[in-house]
Amino acid sequence: MKQTAFTDKLVIVFAYTILSLLGLSSLLPLMQVITLSMSPSEVINSYSFHFIPLKFDFKGYATVLANENLWRAYGNTLLRTALGVSLTIVLTFCAAYPLTKKDLPHRTFWTAFVVLTMFFSGGLIPLYLLIKSLGLMDSIWALVLPPAINTFMVMVVRNFIAELPESLEESAKIDGANDIVILFRIVIPLSLPIIATVGLYSGVYHWNAWFDSMIYIQDGKKHVLQFVLRKIILLGNTAEFEMTGQNQNVTDVESIKMATLVVSIIPLLLVYPFLQKYFVKGSLMGAVKG
Amino acid sequence: MKKRRHVKKTAIVSLLLAASILSACGGGAKAPEGGNASGQNQGPIAIDWLAYNSYNQPSVDNPIGKMVQERFNATFNVWYIDPKSWDDNLNVKLGSGVMPDIMKIPNKQNIAKYVKQGILAPIPREMLEKYAPQYTKYIDDKKIWDQVTYDGKIYAIPTTNPDGEYPTAVVWREDWLKNVGITKTPETIQEYEAALTKFRNEDPDKNGKKDTYGMSDFAIPNILGAFGHPGIIDFKGNQNGVSLEFTKKGDKVVFAATQPEMKEALALLQKWYKDGLIDPEFVTSENSSGYWAHSQAFYNGRIGLTGKGAHYHWRNELDPSNPADKGGGSFEQFKKSQPNGTVALGKPAVGPQGKSGTPQWDISSMPVGITTKAAKDPRKMETLLKMVETAATDFDYYVAVRKGTKDVDYKLENDRYVNLITDSNNPEEKRGLNIFHVLVANDFYKKISGKFNYDYADKHFKYSGYSPVFVPPVDSYTKYLASLYKLTLETYYKIITGELPVSAFDDYVQKFKSGGGDAIEKEANEALAANKAGK
Repeated sequence: MKQTAFTDKLVIVFAYTILSLLGLSSLLPLMQVITLSMSPSEVINSYSFHFIPLKFDFKGYATVLANENLWRAYGNTLLRTALGVSLTIVLTFCAAYPLTKKDLPHRTFWTAFVVLTMFFSGGLIPLYLLIKSLGLMDSIWALVLPPAINTFMVMVVRNFIAELPESLEESAKIDGANDIVILFRIVIPLSLPIIATVGLYSGVYHWNAWFDSMIYIQDGKKHVLQFVLRKIILLGNTAEFEMTGQNQNVTDVESIKMATLVVSIIPLLLVYPFLQKYFVKGSLMGAVKG
Repeated sequence: MKKRRHVKKTAIVSLLLAASILSACGGGAKAPEGGNASGQNQGPIAIDWLAYNSYNQPSVDNPIGKMVQERFNATFNVWYIDPKSWDDNLNVKLGSGVMPDIMKIPNKQNIAKYVKQGILAPIPREMLEKYAPQYTKYIDDKKIWDQVTYDGKIYAIPTTNPDGEYPTAVVWREDWLKNVGITKTPETIQEYEAALTKFRNEDPDKNGKKDTYGMSDFAIPNILGAFGHPGIIDFKGNQNGVSLEFTKKGDKVVFAATQPEMKEALALLQKWYKDGLIDPEFVTSENSSGYWAHSQAFYNGRIGLTGKGAHYHWRNELDPSNPADKGGGSFEQFKKSQPNGTVALGKPAVGPQGKSGTPQWDISSMPVGITTKAAKDPRKMETLLKMVETAATDFDYYVAVRKGTKDVDYKLENDRYVNLITDSNNPEEKRGLNIFHVLVANDFYKKISGKFNYDYADKHFKYSGYSPVFVPPVDSYTKYLASLYKLTLETYYKIITGELPVSAFDDYVQKFKSGGGDAIEKEANEALAANKAGK
């Protein structure tokens, strides 16, 4: 190890200071939420920062953990994400791979046809009508099928595969591989980074989506986590409904809200560090020629 | 290879087609069969129900649900719509031609729109008198039919809100008043000014720091009210969202926000702000988190005057017959934060012209309409009206649909209805409660929500309030409201903080008028005149 010069050290110290500050600035709000989730209401209502809990009151957690809807919604979100991601990966790849083949008849037409859908869509009401008339209302398919293929992703994947050297395929052909073998033994293994990227993007999308659940799903047992969260978070924010009668039991809901947040963030916090390296790598691999 | 792919594609396409055709046939609901409106010897009628507050996923598979279905010979498919995005959600459904049979109309201004879109059906006065005579009379007494009349026809059943009979609270820190040597709760605008100035300058909390202010945003409407009808009653926009107040001048309705008396009021507020009586953080509201009626600034001893909450938020007298009583929700929180603090409920400031008042909620609440889909079958309207009448006249039924089964859902204790199930994971809607009372809230409601509450309110909340002035639903209102509201809010803030001079109010009025204000006023007054002529 060579001695680092003084200026290099300076730069390193400086960089790490900035990075730690940045890290801290994103950590503190989380600490605030965690603290509030286990504090009594007088602490929540007091001014000042709350990074370390001093008084404890776990009423919020007791309510959240007993909420069967929350756990069911958890399950729904997990199922939706798993199903959505696998569908998206398969379908996106199936759409993108043929478009890279030079001998696909009318290739430019098909590409244009696919790209067109990026710019023109029917809008919400026609989509709703479509889902309704397909009989998908109140089922998980209403959440999984419409976003199953993201055109933009199809293009990204197409460009990625198109950049694989053609000589690879030719040499495989000479060695006697047929199309299927080439796909599974050569193209897919080389495309893993981009597949991971697509998977992650759609995973994040499915994990965070709530609007479609609100619109297409009537049955409370089938709602997704984010929608249930949203309802809890917005509890008691407006007086609108008190015009039809007092709502006495929402005056002390802040700790429930925070506890709900914590409970729903934890799995992502646990999973994300392991996924991050793919995320960074995959996104870059698609963009940079290498 | 190529050929095989082609075959596959055709197969998939045809499968998809087949699937769509099948589901399209299966998805259609049967058209209701019209018939004579007696319903005696027919099966139960199926009703799509959306006339309740959908806080939680409802269920009718419970004793209360069964009781209601048997009593009215109906089966209910209760819709669930997330109340927080009611309009977004419902508009998609209505836009695609799906409607409930009976629906709540949270925003009365939408009635005009719904009628035009062919969603609401008129309810003939004869039907009302025939099937809901008592309730019709009750609404006659309250004089709120106007609110649901469009083009001379009644389009919904009005409901009432007993809490709307009381103005919102005026809350002082009693101990602060004592500390600065004021013995009488301030009543005139001069007394207000004196008290607030002392709150700012004489260290009312005795901590040796100059860290207190007089008031923040919740009390502004109270001050505006000393000059005339407050132009804005909700600066945070979380009480009734985006809305602008009207007031009566002669026999015309006009926007309250653009009246000259508001200019006077703003001039005074600007002076107060300059003198430090108003918390500079009022721009982001004294309610910094959580439930809308909470005032963290007041709980934390930053300001000494607040408001906005209703009588049941600030009730500071405890019910002697109930050892567990901690007072109103806001009062309870205040005591938790300031165990030694005390509050005094005051009266709104009286201005130079002798005017005074705090905003008062509307006595008329969210009406319930019947859709054109349901109107095809007279039995549905009949059932709805019977339900309304029963809820308004049969106390035992009302208690059942609001509170549930005795000794299961609630118990009676010294005439108080005490909920036995307070688990938020077993909400009332799941047990069939608060779904079928059709939002009726007459004296029965006062009785079950606690006589002590209302006796207290009658004692302390009998000062003048500014109730919303009624304006018939007009089209232009919904069109221009958002931009006018934003303009008004910005102007008020800027004048109070001194960013704009008071004279800027005149430019604002011009902008407001040309930006749709005049159009709305004109249309509203025409509609009012038409309503009058139609009677």
